[in-house]
Amino acid sequence: MILAKNLAKEYNNGVLALQDFSLKIEKGEFVFLVGPSGAGKSSFLNLVIRKEMPTAGLLEVGERNVARLKKHEVPFFRRNIGVIFQDYKLLPNKTVYENISFALEVIEADAWKIKQRVNYVLEMVGLIHKRKEFPAELSGGEQQRVSLARAIVNRPHLLLADEPTGNLDPETSWEIMELLREINKGGTTIIMATHNKGIVDRLRRRVVAIEHGRLIRDEQKGGYNYED
Amino acid sequence: MKIKTLNYFSCEAVRGIFRNRLMSLAAVGTITMALLLFGGFYLITSNIHHLGKMAKGQIEIRVFLTQSAPGKKVMEKRLAAIPGVQKVRYVSKEEGAKILSQLLGGGELFLEGENPLPDSFNIQTDDGSDIDAIAARVRKISGVEEVVYGQKFVKFLNLILRLLWLVGTILILLAIFAVLYIMINTIQLTVYARRKEIEIMKLVGATDWFIRWPFLLEGVYLGITGAAVSIFILIEGYTILYGKAKSITAALPLLNSVQITTDLVIFLLAMGVFFGAFRSVLSIRRYLKV
Repeated sequence: MILAKNLAKEYNNGVLALQDFSLKIEKGEFVFLVGPSGAGKSSFLNLVIRKEMPTAGLLEVGERNVARLKKHEVPFFRRNIGVIFQDYKLLPNKTVYENISFALEVIEADAWKIKQRVNYVLEMVGLIHKRKEFPAELSGGEQQRVSLARAIVNRPHLLLADEPTGNLDPETSWEIMELLREINKGGTTIIMATHNKGIVDRLRRRVVAIEHGRLIRDEQKGGYNYED
Repeated sequence: MKIKTLNYFSCEAVRGIFRNRLMSLAAVGTITMALLLFGGFYLITSNIHHLGKMAKGQIEIRVFLTQSAPGKKVMEKRLAAIPGVQKVRYVSKEEGAKILSQLLGGGELFLEGENPLPDSFNIQTDDGSDIDAIAARVRKISGVEEVVYGQKFVKFLNLILRLLWLVGTILILLAIFAVLYIMINTIQLTVYARRKEIEIMKLVGATDWFIRWPFLLEGVYLGITGAAVSIFILIEGYTILYGKAKSITAALPLLNSVQITTDLVIFLLAMGVFFGAFRSVLSIRRYLKV
């Protein structure tokens, strides 16, 4: 699914976010990215979604060389990838339903498909009864569930989660993790950047640790093994 | 492009306008102010040009003939053939003497039969024609002794018109910069409100044009609104001023509002659409680079 070889990312201000970074992630895997703040976790996710361009090395996502994507191909490339963030990134002036349908509307999906898919994912994240409410009327956990629903509504092959539980209490975090596991069981590859030791240690999935832009540990069924 | 998508763009554009009412109002306000400036300036310059043309049109060219000049009919034909010449009137030496005598307070000027004045023609030119060029051509016709017209006055008028044109161009350019500056500044706020939306659209895979269209339409709608408001104000205001000016001196050669309406409407609508669209394109450009 993802292949990184000697990947490097240097920002204009000279900061080396990633260097000599090699990693292979198979289809259907669930991978935790751990490491201190500023280690390069988010930079890696930004490269995967082609929000930023690598400065050196190779990065293939779904067998496509990200650096070689033409500008007009990028939107279509992104339609295979779902993303969720720590701050949910919901539109405050749209209802729960609209926030999710929006993701399908902007890729010009058919009306019947939009209705069917949005109701399906709302059912899945358990918020069908709140579809007419606005984000401000929801709890943090509920907002993240809406964000998650939006990320998967187009059935992406890959789901990127950047600190999805960062703003949530432990109990709500587990609800989100349950959903992510559910989605992963359906075959979607998940890469999750996190600082949540409890979750990483308990789920025992593949753990990739990054420090100063370098991959320093990659273990199957790993633990967090960090002191934040 | 699907019809549903077109509909979506249009709805989003209208929604965008009402969602950011204050910013939309500010945008319409800026565009209106800018267009009032342009329109007002347009009205002033076109009236001055009109005035200048009228003044030039009223200048007569006096053509004095040589003693050996061919007959009246032949000369009249030659003069009338010059492009820009509207009317040619023959003034015989007798008539010339009469006019001169009247100018000098009446009475006999010359001894009977010893009128030294040449035969002459008065030429009226078309409005807006180049009086200097016409005079030059008249001078070349054989049989013409001398050509007299208000050369100095025409030169002065030309200078004034050229000066006005220069000042006008500079003012328009300054106005364009001022308007763009104001627009760019108000845009920052509008886009700040929308950057999250654009970011999400990009992340879920919307194409750049899909993102641009509603913004573009929104800008065009705002531009047309601003143009409509400024057209209304300008035409109403101009009609009132025109009436007032005419009531003071009816002889003032001003363009009436019918004469200016078509040009003004086209000019301002085009400018409005341009400003509106420009504002939108500029505002989202930075945020599309995600």
